[in-house]
Amino acid sequence: MITLQDIEIGYKTTLFSIENIQLKKGYVYALIGANGAGKTTFLQSLTGFNQSIKGEVVVSNKSIYTFSRFDKAKTISFVASKFDGIDYLKVIDYISLGRIPYTNALGRLTDYDKELVNESIRLLNLEVLSEKYTIEISDGERQLVAIARALTQQTEVIILDEPTAFLDYSNRKKVMETMKDIAIKLNKCIIISSHDLELCLESNTQLLVIHKERKAMILFDENTLTKEKLISIGF
Amino acid sequence: MIQTKSKLVLYLLLILVPIVSVFHLFSGEISIDFSDFYRALFDFDKTNTNQIIFREFRIPRLLMGIIAGSGLSIAGLLMQTMFNNPLAGPYILGINSGSSLFVAFSIMSGIPFFISDFGTISSALIGAFIFGLIILAFSYIVKSHVSLLLIGIMLGSFTSAFVSILQSMSNPSELKLFTMWGMGSLQQVTLTQIPIILVFFILGIISCIFVIKPLNVLVLGENQAMMLGIHLKYVRLILISITAILTGLITAFCGPIAFVGLAVPNMVKLLLKTQSHGFLMVGCLLVGSLFLLVCDILIQLLETSVHIPINALTSLIGAPFVILIVLKRLA
Repeated sequence: MITLQDIEIGYKTTLFSIENIQLKKGYVYALIGANGAGKTTFLQSLTGFNQSIKGEVVVSNKSIYTFSRFDKAKTISFVASKFDGIDYLKVIDYISLGRIPYTNALGRLTDYDKELVNESIRLLNLEVLSEKYTIEISDGERQLVAIARALTQQTEVIILDEPTAFLDYSNRKKVMETMKDIAIKLNKCIIISSHDLELCLESNTQLLVIHKERKAMILFDENTLTKEKLISIGF
Repeated sequence: MIQTKSKLVLYLLLILVPIVSVFHLFSGEISIDFSDFYRALFDFDKTNTNQIIFREFRIPRLLMGIIAGSGLSIAGLLMQTMFNNPLAGPYILGINSGSSLFVAFSIMSGIPFFISDFGTISSALIGAFIFGLIILAFSYIVKSHVSLLLIGIMLGSFTSAFVSILQSMSNPSELKLFTMWGMGSLQQVTLTQIPIILVFFILGIISCIFVIKPLNVLVLGENQAMMLGIHLKYVRLILISITAILTGLITAFCGPIAFVGLAVPNMVKLLLKTQSHGFLMVGCLLVGSLFLLVCDILIQLLETSVHIPINALTSLIGAPFVILIVLKRLA
């Protein structure tokens, strides 16, 4: 799905390089690295909003820079670390915004769009929340709602930037389990940046580690790293 | 997208606008009966004073009230969503002052073209557009909402100082013209000017239909809007242009009118409880018209004892409302 070959990631100066990594559909990749190692820059390079120093991110055999705005929005969706909710914006209307890249100039939802919105709501068990306003629900619920919006966007790639940073343990676990479920069931390529080593190891995801000394990103399959090893490489 | 209750509110407003409009037409010092109104429209008698009053004063004043109220409210809504700031509006961001400055220049230039209607509108539009771009440029530098508002207010103070200097250098007739204009009024428009005003107004309102989609997404913030495929630069420029057309047009003919653009969109959101900008725009059209018409009816009722400029009355009502919004946000 995503090919990272001979790339240098950074903003003005190189932070780390990637020799050859393939990110496939059906997997969750946890992105791990020390503060300042370049996690956010990497995510921005994946979405094409930051130019990589060398080489280019290739998504579905196409350079990310050649995507049109709406094509990109149909291929990659993004969930921020925090969604604070918005006055007078209902959960269902927020999730519907995921259909924006597909709607006409006036942004009108078709019956098919509405069906997809309801499908995402059902998949994440958000039925009870759908008519509530986004500012009335809890942080954990809001994060699931944001994931539902990304699902409604129907992209093959979903990127989440530290989605669990502001959540308690049970909600963190829930978000990770949900993402693993989605990756397998809906055959999506999911990339999650995280500071939560235990959670990533526990959830048995693939690990994208930014090697501290070699200044390189290395892919580890699930269950091939212990926490001690992970710390010694990345921190 | 919108609750049934909110839809009912919209229908109610839709019924209220014509009722208040009729009230507006028949308020004023001279009482006129309905038959004169009918004849003024369909069977105009040039010698009948009452009919002349209807045709030449009351109808333009009513239309201008509707145009100014709804136009400023919509401009305010666009600014609030674009800057993600519930306290934004064309007046507080200094976009009005751009028009004021350019209109002052054109009136006091003494050049016939600039004193004509078309010249005044053009300079008001250009002024609004330039000041819109200035505030947009500042929005890239300052990230804080409050700072941006302060810069807008400073732009306003700066230009009003500049305008005072211009005034002190101008001759008495120009000074009178500009001072009258600066007080803000709905009654300076004549029937012959209405067509050109309507053309610009309708142009501005129709363009709004095409920014509903980006506005709905901009509510999520700029980053998320970009990830959903919105062309930010392009959308911002269109929003500033529409705001400049509406604000410039209204400022050119009515003078500066404060707080309508700030207060009305907040009232509408409170009433409709939605972020769907199609509905919010319809709400702004209706509530904005009602707000300004009611203000103008009040002015006419009080006219026998005291003459209040419209700008003063909207400030009297609008400023406390803004303080209320701020207090509600802090709570």
